[in-house]
Amino acid sequence: MSRKRAYRSKMRILADMMRAIQSEGEDGAGPTKILYAANLSHDRLTQYLEELVEKKLIKEAELGSDNRIYFLTEKGREFLKEFVRMERFSEAFGIEI
Amino acid sequence: MQDGIFALIRLDLIFEIISGIIALVVTFYATKAYNLTGQKKLSDLSTGFLVLSAGMFGRVIGTWYFIIRYGIEGPSSELILSIVTIAYGASRIMAYLLFVVATRPARHRESLNNENMTGVSLLLAATILVDPNLEVIAILVLVLVVIQAIINYFSTRSRFALYVLLGFSLILLSHMLVAQTLVNPGLFLLSQISQLLGYLSLLVMLIKAGRVE
Repeated sequence: MSRKRAYRSKMRILADMMRAIQSEGEDGAGPTKILYAANLSHDRLTQYLEELVEKKLIKEAELGSDNRIYFLTEKGREFLKEFVRMERFSEAFGIEI
Repeated sequence: MQDGIFALIRLDLIFEIISGIIALVVTFYATKAYNLTGQKKLSDLSTGFLVLSAGMFGRVIGTWYFIIRYGIEGPSSELILSIVTIAYGASRIMAYLLFVVATRPARHRESLNNENMTGVSLLLAATILVDPNLEVIAILVLVLVVIQAIINYFSTRSRFALYVLLGFSLILLSHMLVAQTLVNPGLFLLSQISQLLGYLSLLVMLIKAGRVE
């Protein structure tokens, strides 16, 4: 029996996006992959990707004129680890984040 | 006889200090999680554990200062001890009420949080006014916390939730044993051991949750 998640906080959405990038490892993840994995609209995706790049949690690389790929930075990896710790802690008390 | 009582009180205070430190560690974690996520319930949880640890340390300082220093028959120790006991009991009830609010199963968006704050404040104020048998009130409130921990465990099946359930259950058991102390004084130390084990269970959860591969 899994708990139905009705609402995702912004922090969780950012973490889901970063997890999608991390799952691709060294190859990095394209916007479409992140969009599907984090279940986002295109507008939201663009907005959050900009925010993550600005906060230096991910870095962007341009492969072609309209082809971008995203990688997790060291700061992003540390953030994700911390988020997982806090997620486990919160869920242990039944608190959704 | 007096030496035996002092030894028991000292042991009780040592257990209380360890439990208080663990409660402070949980406060630290909950505050950290709140700062990262902005989830209001984590702030309530943090405040709950902070109130709990403040109560524990208050009891340790009060008991140590007036009983260990001046003795059980010392000047006005009976009055001071009853004040310390009431303050400690009230702080625990306040903390448990905050746990009830913090661990309440979520139904929808967290904007709901504010609507219950007036009710919670009244409940918190009521605990200060309530005097008779604080232990029984603590048991009743803690039963709700344990029920919510059971619901959480069965909905997530997470081992971390299991440690929390075990922790709150042992703390509840400690209150039940304290309530029996008038009939059987020997249960007092057992209740302190049960409380310590409850907090140790929360500490194990923190350590395991902190391990990220």
